[in-house]
Amino acid sequence: MTLLFPSEMIRSELEEIVGEHFISVKETDKLIYSTDWSWMPQMWLDRGERLPAPDYIVHPGSAEEIAEILLIANKYHIPVVPWGGGSGTQGGALPLFGGILVDTKRMDKILEIDEKSLTVTAQAGINGQQLEWALNEKGLTLPHYAASSNCATLGGYLAPRGTGTVSTKYGKAEDLFLRMQVVLPTGEIIRTAHVPKHAAGPDWARLWLGAEGTFGIITEATMQVDYLPEARLLRAVLFDNLSNAIEAGRLLMTRRLEPFVIRLYDPESTRSQVKKVLGYEFDGAYMVIGFDGDPDIAALQEKKALEICTELGARDLGREPGEKWWEHRYDFYYPPKSLHLPWMYGTTETLTTYDQIEKLYWAEKKAVEEGFAEWNVKFIGHFSHWFHWGVMVYTRFIIEEPPADAQEALQLHNRVWNAAMTAVLENGGMINEHHGVGLKLGRYMRRQYGDAWPFLLRLKKMIDPNGIMNPGKTGF
Amino acid sequence: MDTVPTTENCRYCLMCRHVCPIGLVTHLETLTPHGWGLTIESVKRGLLTWNEETVNVLYSCADCGACRANCATDQPLPDAIASARAEVTAQQLAPAIVYEIGEILEQFENPYVKQTPEKMTGTGAVALFVGDEAHHLQPEAVQAARTLIHATGVTPVEIGIGRNNGYLASSLGFPETARKLAQATLDELRASGARKLLVLSPGDYFAFNQHLIERLGLAWPEEVELIELTSYLHDHSKAGRLTFTILEDTTPYAYVDPAHAARVPGGRAGARAILKAVLPIPARELFWRGERTHSVGSTALQFTQPHLADQLTFARLDDVAKSGAQVAVTEDAGTLYQLNRHAPRFGVRAQGLYELLAKNIQ
Repeated sequence: MTLLFPSEMIRSELEEIVGEHFISVKETDKLIYSTDWSWMPQMWLDRGERLPAPDYIVHPGSAEEIAEILLIANKYHIPVVPWGGGSGTQGGALPLFGGILVDTKRMDKILEIDEKSLTVTAQAGINGQQLEWALNEKGLTLPHYAASSNCATLGGYLAPRGTGTVSTKYGKAEDLFLRMQVVLPTGEIIRTAHVPKHAAGPDWARLWLGAEGTFGIITEATMQVDYLPEARLLRAVLFDNLSNAIEAGRLLMTRRLEPFVIRLYDPESTRSQVKKVLGYEFDGAYMVIGFDGDPDIAALQEKKALEICTELGARDLGREPGEKWWEHRYDFYYPPKSLHLPWMYGTTETLTTYDQIEKLYWAEKKAVEEGFAEWNVKFIGHFSHWFHWGVMVYTRFIIEEPPADAQEALQLHNRVWNAAMTAVLENGGMINEHHGVGLKLGRYMRRQYGDAWPFLLRLKKMIDPNGIMNPGKTGF
Repeated sequence: MDTVPTTENCRYCLMCRHVCPIGLVTHLETLTPHGWGLTIESVKRGLLTWNEETVNVLYSCADCGACRANCATDQPLPDAIASARAEVTAQQLAPAIVYEIGEILEQFENPYVKQTPEKMTGTGAVALFVGDEAHHLQPEAVQAARTLIHATGVTPVEIGIGRNNGYLASSLGFPETARKLAQATLDELRASGARKLLVLSPGDYFAFNQHLIERLGLAWPEEVELIELTSYLHDHSKAGRLTFTILEDTTPYAYVDPAHAARVPGGRAGARAILKAVLPIPARELFWRGERTHSVGSTALQFTQPHLADQLTFARLDDVAKSGAQVAVTEDAGTLYQLNRHAPRFGVRAQGLYELLAKNIQ
């Protein structure tokens, strides 16, 4: 396609860095890269409206090439948007102001699998599932089983501080992280310390965890891996009382029984989602619990967990509903089983400590259901990432007949989100646990952090003086 | 076929991108299942138009079936893409090569030589679909297949000798030509009186087992059992009716899952088992195998996007070389043809499975 004079000058410079096959200014590519997995841009395109698109899409092959690209971006003051799998739900990868979209997927090499220290080092653009398969060939696993693993990249696991299905035992992606290589916005390539647990000054390596590309581009990471578990025991229980179910989960965690999964669906989710995807018609709160590793230890942990659950009034549903859930746990994300357009939906997932979680859940539910009753809004949730001190609740709202007009639909979407986030912030919750901030939640960052927010703004200014990195995201 | 629900579903779904071979070799978001779905839907919404650029995107899908094979809700995206290609060809917007191959298929029923199919002769209980790839690209494989089937005490009626199974035409966007080709084979099958049809590859199995019904709207004769030759041979071998001499040479082999393998459930168990019967040491397993198998560039892509097709074949050969194998073995003539073209530059040799087995019948 024909470009105007300055655009062609910049395109030529970029082409000199990455080569002619790895830069595109084609209209089709621009459209495809103008959306990620978040509802807002998908809805916008669905209604036949155009989105802001990148001016240049580049596929660099090395950190050095990315460094050169960033020097060009600084020279011309052009935005740079890092792109992994595009599977974010908050608009974190949207090229809001055009510029250079840096797709990292060409950087997909596994550099080392250390079978003694149990670590893997790979380039950040590697696909999550492909990395997992490579580890499985050696009897290993990276225990970050995100629903997005089929499409997300290693860099995408870390940049928004992602969480996977087995996080309750193995931790979030950030807990599996040892070290990384980053290209700073100013074009320097740096490496963090060899190991993460030390006392050699502040833990600055974690600055890029959750920065969502606003502090630079992660180009390589070393992650902790595990042996594939010898046994995985799954079963399900049913509570008629959500409160007791949450208490059971708390006891499983605080008594250190080490479940790799506790997936508790609220009664509404049990009635709708569990029935739709798994075919079970349960009345109450359906909870899947799982233990893995040594078969004898896992069996004992499961026995103790079952005792706790039954003491709190749960009915043991046996193995089949637990194993079926495990086998089909990602089916929830395949259309048409997943939430889909033209519906309006949002995942307002949050977390807090055990003492506040129920209050938060009911407050958010009330704010959404009562605030938007005229739209027949549905509010569903499941509690899926448990910690020693608290739990995350994956709350979602669904409006099956939203306004047809794109702008009106987006306004309503923002209003529902606002009601949900206000309830979250007023009840001790975080604006999210693992989906990241992106575009959608940026406006709540000041309220989330209060007096600390100006400090974060100063930090951003220092790291990215020209403000080129992923502008409009994480509140920056 | 109404493909709207499929492309509506696939346009924003990213759950099969990890198995798309084109996405893997190009790293380009546009050339992935969701990229194709979104392109088609964006044309419908007036955000894009069919032009040289978008049509090029449409014809960059390998139509290998990996996306559908790995879809939890069985979305027939390859059929939807073929349907969009049919619209584009009807509007005279497809690349010139598409019409060129379409005309050759219409006239000669295969894309490889200007020669019409050979007539079938005789009748019998068992038929063998020869097809165009094996007949024209790898005649040794057909001869080897004959030898192997004879060794089981059967002389099959050969049908479809030199004729495309219909898949190539439908993949290019010519469903009517595809129906004619498939119907001609069905007519021969009926005339043969056969109750079993042996096919040489998963591509042929898919063409008759699924493609013919779902994409072309034709009916498979219920009384005829469709069997892949590898499964047939494995069954005879298991029963002791067919035995092989084990090779003395311990050169490492690797089994390459053929094109369309993803479309046939079972992970090529029959082919792997029968190969095991002649090898002194187990064949190396490639990274891209079984449920995550990736195709070589032997589909319509070899005509419409030869550079991209070669990239797929290079990726498979690279996989073989990385496994430490020196011989890449497969049963599908089209796959073998593509592997043979480029094997030397990867320091490996391509070998037909049927030829290997036929040479070593006891």
